[in-house]
Amino acid sequence: MKNKIINSLSTKIVISIGVVSVLITFVIFSVSEKITKEAFYNVELEKADLIAKTIEPLFALNIYLDMPENIAQLSQQLMENQYILSVKVLDSKNKIINEIESKEYQEGFEESFVVEKNVNQPNSTKKIGTLVIVYSNKGYKELVNKYTNMTILLLFALVVLFILYGLYVKKLLSPLVKIANSLKYYSPDKEMDIPFLSQNNEIGLISNALNSMQQKISQYSKKQKNINHYLEEKVNEKTLELREQLYIDTLTGLPNRFSMFNDIIETKDGALLIINIDDFKEINDFFGHIAGDNILKKFSNRLKNMFKGNEYIRLKRLSGDEFALLFVQKPSLESFIKSAEKLISDVEKMIFLYKKNEISIRVTVGGAYQIDRALEKADIALKSAKRQRKSFLLYDEKLNIEEQYKDNMEWVKKLKKAIEQDMIVPYFQPIFDNKSEEIASYECLIRLVESNGNVVSPYLFLTIAKKSRLYSELTKIMIEKSCQHFEHIDYDFSVNLSVDDILDRDMVNYIKQKIKEHSVANKIIFEILESEGIENYEEVSLFISDMKKLGCRIAIDDFGSGYSNFEHLLKLDIDYIKIDGTLIKNLDKDANAQVVVETIVDFAKRLNILTVAEFVHNEAVFMKVKELNVNRSQGFALGMPEENTKK
Amino acid sequence: MLKAQASIFPKILLLDRKIDDKLIDGKIVYTIVYDKSDYSTARHVGEFIDASNKGHFDKYMYKINLVEFSDLSSSTHASVIYALNSDRDIKKVADFAREKGIIAFSYDVKNLKAGLLFSLVLEKSTVLYMNKENLYIQKIDFVDSLLRIVKFIDKDNS
Repeated sequence: MKNKIINSLSTKIVISIGVVSVLITFVIFSVSEKITKEAFYNVELEKADLIAKTIEPLFALNIYLDMPENIAQLSQQLMENQYILSVKVLDSKNKIINEIESKEYQEGFEESFVVEKNVNQPNSTKKIGTLVIVYSNKGYKELVNKYTNMTILLLFALVVLFILYGLYVKKLLSPLVKIANSLKYYSPDKEMDIPFLSQNNEIGLISNALNSMQQKISQYSKKQKNINHYLEEKVNEKTLELREQLYIDTLTGLPNRFSMFNDIIETKDGALLIINIDDFKEINDFFGHIAGDNILKKFSNRLKNMFKGNEYIRLKRLSGDEFALLFVQKPSLESFIKSAEKLISDVEKMIFLYKKNEISIRVTVGGAYQIDRALEKADIALKSAKRQRKSFLLYDEKLNIEEQYKDNMEWVKKLKKAIEQDMIVPYFQPIFDNKSEEIASYECLIRLVESNGNVVSPYLFLTIAKKSRLYSELTKIMIEKSCQHFEHIDYDFSVNLSVDDILDRDMVNYIKQKIKEHSVANKIIFEILESEGIENYEEVSLFISDMKKLGCRIAIDDFGSGYSNFEHLLKLDIDYIKIDGTLIKNLDKDANAQVVVETIVDFAKRLNILTVAEFVHNEAVFMKVKELNVNRSQGFALGMPEENTKK
Repeated sequence: MLKAQASIFPKILLLDRKIDDKLIDGKIVYTIVYDKSDYSTARHVGEFIDASNKGHFDKYMYKINLVEFSDLSSSTHASVIYALNSDRDIKKVADFAREKGIIAFSYDVKNLKAGLLFSLVLEKSTVLYMNKENLYIQKIDFVDSLLRIVKFIDKDNS
């Protein structure tokens, strides 16, 4: 309340005017008081001076005429003036001629002015004495008191006037308060009576302006309400539309992945099948995306028809070529598997027509018989099925696939760390000439050295490296370190390359650069894995030809393990064949293996290709290898892979 | 009384603002007129003035001129005239002074009624008397203050 009063406009006006008035009054009174008091003082002083001036000629004459009685008489007459406290007349030698003092002056409590006047000889300027008059300032004090009383009276009058003025201002501005109070509960929906509309002054103007504003706001509010209503309807429509879009796949009209998430959450116990169309990319590439979309639509319609009678199976489209069947009520395991198998078999029979083309598809299905993390599990099963080239696989907890995933992730981390910390190193295993039994060359084998010094074999991480795209990085490290090692050592050495490495142009350029950098073209032998299955013979042949031009040699690794076409292989212009370890391992006992090895050696000899036996792990095998005229041998029985080579 | 007059009258004559007009050969001629029987008095007065003033009334040089009443004529030199007592010739002095426009001092205050200008009496204090009728003689201009301390005398009352 107190704040309200202080903040009110009228109070502020009155206070501001009051402050200004007080300041002005204070300044005026201070100045005028000083001037007036000074004037009063001067008046009294002038009075005293005038008395002295008036009486001086008489004193002058009496001094001049040497009439001291008259001087005394004159002084006495002066003392009759109540304001004169003392009169003293001195001659030219300052000797007192006459002196009279009043009683008050003698008692010494009177404040006074002293007027001292030279007394000149009449009709001359010659000084003949001095007149000293002491004049009381009683008159001055009386004037000042009168003035002070008047001032107080005036101030009192001003204060009263000011209070009246304040009340008047308050009264003048009171209509504004009323208007403000009437506006306090204003609402655009309700028309209100604004007071003082008829007043012919500023208040009236404000009231009329507010009234006009009220009408405009009211009109605007009505329009706004209509717009809001319209917008609300539109927003609701759009929300529904978006919600549908969020959960419905636009191409097939099937519920999508998000819809499936919701359904899985709501399902207490169910099962899931994920259906992936095999090689759908090829359909898109060959017939075009429109054809692909067309087949997807038709496929989804046929799936719909297939399960439309079953209210417990919900069909979803997860992504491009992936669909799902969510069983919201768990069927028996047998029925679940049968459903999957029937689905696969029905799809195989489907024929899709597109522009007179008959297109048939196959699907791979992954199943999860638990609703908990069903999507992940079905996905794992699907990927396993794809890997194993099976049309259906059910997720099996016993496969421990999740643990494998975790393990793989750990190995990826380890590999990255080893690359960063330069802990990928080559180990060197000697390859012996079977005739001279001398070291003919070394094979450079990759090893990962752990922080505790453990040396890890590539069988544990090479497959993961290929999946995680770290493989090419490892190849580069092996190329660089092996070339560097053998730069100044007089031995041949071999490095393993995958077909992917050979097909990678950057890698080939890197290899060429390193060979030149370390001048090892005549020492290096590239071992290409035959077991991976060389399909791109032309590119591989080009690589071999390039490398041979530089002076490098080529070996086919694990020969006899794959399904390579001999005819093609022979066109590759290779220098060595490394016979696969599975043939050598039991060579001393396995008659079939002996026949195969003999055949390989025979046909290699004819082509001038040297043969190398891997996996020579004991003396018996070594003897057999030599007996079968294999040129070179490698294995634990002859020499382990080691950090360094012999010098 | 004579001494008092000899002291004060020279001072009074200096209160005339037109004293410079009355100088004769640059001097104030202080003429004392006397009856034959008063010659020695006149001489004593002259000697007293000389003794008191030593040749100068303030800045003016002066000269004492002793003249018998009978010798007083229009050719008599006088810047101021001081008349000792006489029964017959006071009127002559008054006329002389009026004619010359000079101040006439009188030994006896009664002679003011005869037309002389100034006199002095020693009462409780020294009192100056002035003939009111001569106040307006144009050739004499006293300082105002003098007029405030003198007592005026005219023909009708004293």
